[in-house]
Amino acid sequence: MSATVIDYSKEIPVVEGVPTAASLDAAISKPIDEFPHRNWFIGLAITGTMLLIGAISLGWLLWKGVGIWGINQPVAWGFDVVNFVFWVGIGHAGTLISAILFLLRQKWRTGIARFAEAMTLFAVLCAVQFVLFHTGRPWIAAVWLLPYPNQHGVWVNFTSPLMWDVFAVSTYFTVSAVFWYVGLIPDFATLRDRATTKIKKLVYSILSLGWRFSNRHWQHYERAYLIMAGFATPLVLSVHTIVSFDFAVSVLPGWHTTIFPPYFVAGAIFSGFAMVQNVLIITRKAFHFEHLITMDTIEKMNKIMLVTGMMVGYAYSMEFFTAWYSGNQTELFVFVNRAFGPYWWAYWIMFACNVFSPQLFWFKKIRRSLLASFILSIFVNIGMWFERFVIVVTSLHRDFLPSSWGMFVPTVWDFGLLIGSFGLFFTLVLLFIKFLPAIAMSEIKAVVPGAQPTHHGNGAHHG
Amino acid sequence: MSTIESIIIPKKELPSNFVKAGWGLVAVGVVLVIISYATDTHRALFNNLIGFAFLASVAVGALFFIALEYIAGAVWSTPFRRVTEFLASLLPLAIILAIPLLMNMHELFHWSHSDAVAADPILKHKEPYLNEQFFLIRFVVVLGAWLLFFYLFRRNSIKQDVDKDQKHTKNNITLSAIFIPFFAISVSLFAIDWLMSLEPHWFSTIFGIYYFTGTAICALAVTTFLVVSLSEKGYFFKGVNENHYYSFGALLFGLLSFWAYIAFSQFMLIWYANLPEENFWFIARWENGWEYISIAMVLLHFWVPYFMLLSRPSKMNVGNLKRSSLLLVFVHFLDLYWLVMPTYSKAPVFSYFELAFPLLTIGLILVVFSLQAKKYNMVPVGDPKLQRGIDFHL
Amino acid sequence: MDKKLYAVTALFKTPNDIIAAAKAVRDAGYTKFDVHTPYPVHGMDRAMGLKETKLGFVTLAAGILGAVGMISFASWVASVDYPQVIGGKPYWSWPAFVPVTYEIAVLSAVLLTVGAMITFFLKFPNNSHPLHDTRYMKAVSSDTFGIAIQADDSKFNEQEVNAFLKKLGGDVEPIYYTEEFLNFKPQMFEPKFILLLVGVALVAAGGGYFTWNKLLFMPPFDWMMEQPRVNAQSKSEFFADGFGMRPPVEGTVARGFIPYPYKATDRADSVGALLANPFLPTKKVLELGKQKYFTFCSPCHGNFGNGDSRLQGQFPNPPTLHSDKVRQWPDGAIFHVITVGQNVMPSYQYQITREERWAIVHYVRTLQRALNAKESDLQ
Repeated sequence: MSATVIDYSKEIPVVEGVPTAASLDAAISKPIDEFPHRNWFIGLAITGTMLLIGAISLGWLLWKGVGIWGINQPVAWGFDVVNFVFWVGIGHAGTLISAILFLLRQKWRTGIARFAEAMTLFAVLCAVQFVLFHTGRPWIAAVWLLPYPNQHGVWVNFTSPLMWDVFAVSTYFTVSAVFWYVGLIPDFATLRDRATTKIKKLVYSILSLGWRFSNRHWQHYERAYLIMAGFATPLVLSVHTIVSFDFAVSVLPGWHTTIFPPYFVAGAIFSGFAMVQNVLIITRKAFHFEHLITMDTIEKMNKIMLVTGMMVGYAYSMEFFTAWYSGNQTELFVFVNRAFGPYWWAYWIMFACNVFSPQLFWFKKIRRSLLASFILSIFVNIGMWFERFVIVVTSLHRDFLPSSWGMFVPTVWDFGLLIGSFGLFFTLVLLFIKFLPAIAMSEIKAVVPGAQPTHHGNGAHHG
Repeated sequence: MSTIESIIIPKKELPSNFVKAGWGLVAVGVVLVIISYATDTHRALFNNLIGFAFLASVAVGALFFIALEYIAGAVWSTPFRRVTEFLASLLPLAIILAIPLLMNMHELFHWSHSDAVAADPILKHKEPYLNEQFFLIRFVVVLGAWLLFFYLFRRNSIKQDVDKDQKHTKNNITLSAIFIPFFAISVSLFAIDWLMSLEPHWFSTIFGIYYFTGTAICALAVTTFLVVSLSEKGYFFKGVNENHYYSFGALLFGLLSFWAYIAFSQFMLIWYANLPEENFWFIARWENGWEYISIAMVLLHFWVPYFMLLSRPSKMNVGNLKRSSLLLVFVHFLDLYWLVMPTYSKAPVFSYFELAFPLLTIGLILVVFSLQAKKYNMVPVGDPKLQRGIDFHL
Repeated sequence: MDKKLYAVTALFKTPNDIIAAAKAVRDAGYTKFDVHTPYPVHGMDRAMGLKETKLGFVTLAAGILGAVGMISFASWVASVDYPQVIGGKPYWSWPAFVPVTYEIAVLSAVLLTVGAMITFFLKFPNNSHPLHDTRYMKAVSSDTFGIAIQADDSKFNEQEVNAFLKKLGGDVEPIYYTEEFLNFKPQMFEPKFILLLVGVALVAAGGGYFTWNKLLFMPPFDWMMEQPRVNAQSKSEFFADGFGMRPPVEGTVARGFIPYPYKATDRADSVGALLANPFLPTKKVLELGKQKYFTFCSPCHGNFGNGDSRLQGQFPNPPTLHSDKVRQWPDGAIFHVITVGQNVMPSYQYQITREERWAIVHYVRTLQRALNAKESDLQ
């Protein structure tokens, strides 16, 4: 369905047609109740294999240490930090869709908010793997990074951006998990009341905490949801900002630049949306949710990618201009080296994927094409991975002293863990869409036509 | 749902004290400006720069909000969009305010002194960008383009009043899509040229965003103040209520939090690395009395308005919105003063010089608004989203 | 079994109906009633006459508490407990504390808000409410809107309420308490539950400690006080004989020690032929020799090497060093005697270092020359 002429006086419907609440329950519960399709198992087999590769790489890492990676002087941060930033960035889309679009009252988010939030949790989980295991002795890091009273006599260093990361990512994961769970409570209650077996009923009863759909409860619930959305929004900004601080507080040319915070946040949203777009296009097809996740939603996601892509492009230009303007020799060299030095290929992949390819979204036909959206989203993800690679590796490999210059060559174990992280992420996504409602049932029921009273009883401008 | 014609008030004479206040401020402002220039041209020029940057903020910020509404498809702001259109029409006046500055670049910009440039390798390096000719060209291109966009936006909007054709909305959406990326680059260059280059050795990649955020807050605050004050007095349409106001309060809240985030990022990163090539700019703003202004900025630009607009009811309260908006307008002046004046003097100064341009520019806003309101409808009566905007509720 | 009535309920099909019904019930003066909808219906709060939720205050308090708490803690750590100069910055550097303060403020605000909502505002978990497992609940959790007027409302009269709700157009049905609910006690404070919690805590703590400290001895359960090392003067199961302290291995020498291969039974003059004085008789060496001679040798051999100490004439009657025998000895022979001793004279190997012994030899030579001076020495 393509709207050739838009009527601006009418709201664009969130869902197609007028599905009844009961049919929505049935459609969304169907994947949970039924035995999964063969494709799901094939997908799980693939992602499971990737996960296994990751597990082997991780085991070898724990046994031998981080020397198995390609990191060395001068490039002491390699795939570990690149992947960490990559996955944290992807997580931000979920919160943006769930929280920020909620605050902006964009109803089209309803069809995708639930699994976007789930993707946030899984992405942050992947990110945590990298940042934890790159410490070398993660069993110590996991505990000693937290400021608990102990016998060491020293506390953690609160002024270090790496410590800020610990706080930020933990807070982000916790708040996202709580937000996600609270959103699921009414759906667990619905599933409880639809449950056919005793076990299912017991599990859903416990998970739903006994939710009764009372309006007195909805009142508190909605306020809590609004508050959480209100907090999650600046939290998204703060988390990737703090990740950017890891680099920006240093004195390294190419890293120390004040635009990093908003630049990283824009990039995170950019890459996150691309990943959500990929997952949603597949899920929508697999579960026949086409009437619940309309082409309008997909088009809006593409528009947001265009906007954030251009923000990233703006940041590139501002960095480049200021590198020249500053008159700082080393700063300018870094940028010239990025484009024409030994890693030029990474730079141009990044540029092509991040700046050029989203420009295709100016064209409505491309915005409304599923295949184009899918492919371009993959390009964006590739481009954003390379952006983090370019930032981390090129700034480190040639900094102030030419005698310290070196190269970074990733090893098979670097790639193993990268593949493994994709395996972990997609395995969790597949499990999620099988066992939990992929669309928020109570939310989607509230936005179909006819769901709300026509006589607006909050009495705003009526009696 | 009442018929639209029965409730909208397309045009109405503005209250007389509003108009009188405007002309009064302009008169006092002009007198003070003349006295300032006669007494101390150098100081007057710096204040002129503040006035120019302020008026440009209001005008181009308003233009940005017009574009933003179109591109986002927002409906809550539609009934009030004319206010921003009237504010954007201040652009030509802003350009006029820039003329004394362009004629006296030597007084303002260290990099325009060729002997200083010859003696300083860093300035020599920047000379391809920081030279009077290129500066002037950029000024003409940026302000000219902004004027052009304003003219096109406005023409479509006014035409739509008459023919109620949706194609004008479609055209403005396309125009917005082109304007916004251009605006991002142009407002950054504007900030770099007029504000950052006052200290030509200093640089900050986030500076464009910093100025943009201050601009957005200022324009929105002026808009909010006008919308709330005038609807109280029965303008726009019958039944303007807290549902319509809420979004203004919420957006102001969000933007001022964003400003604090950008300002803190800029400060903290430079503080943390502590590089002499960057930190001198902030050190200058922490000595000889500037520290009080810096503290005042943090309190008045973030903490106070944050708590004023934090709770849900506060965003819908007419009195609170008016007070918050006025505070945010004042504090944008303070921000520009803090950005500009340390180049003029080691310690902050305050006298009639510093009052001249704020009074003048506020007066100009009121005067231009009243003249525009006489000429055009205050509500975009032909806009297809108007009904949805009027019916808007939380 | 006498069933106790909980409430009379009515189901409605459309949002407009339920809003109208809620308003009607509110206007009729009932206070103990509730509306159940599968999703929040706009305007329902107003229709029911509900007051604004107070949840926001919890958030504000929690956020402020979190922020103040965190910045205080970080400030205390950095300026009182263990001040360190980090990055050349002053001990208390507030810009660096902003990120962690902000995160903790958000974390505490969100967790406490949700916690308060679930426990105090919603009073969850509660899976034995009379409305659970009823046709009514199944309907409202899916696609129908319901209203329930409780029997303990002051104005409640079963027939009246029935008729009233039917008139509004609802599908009416009474709901009764279950035995479970009547016997419902808040599970939080039941002794069995608390015992269970305590038990779980003990098992988890004990099991964790056992696994991490005893079985695996993994950080951070490997406190520095307990290290798998041998402490001084303690037993050790590592060695067969159980001794923690071990004697040095055969052939171990102290640092700087040069082994002396000649024994006490070797004749001084034959050893002397094998050794050579490695030091020249410089002023420094002679002064060292003089000092050491007076310390160690003069008590027996006298100040001038003549054997004229206070032991002269008594046992053991130290010999003079100016005898022909000694004068003809090579330096190494004197060195050997000092090192291994002779007759009653003990070995001075451990009291006088090698350098010092050679210095003493030089001094003795000086003394010998002094007591047998020749005319040629004066030139």
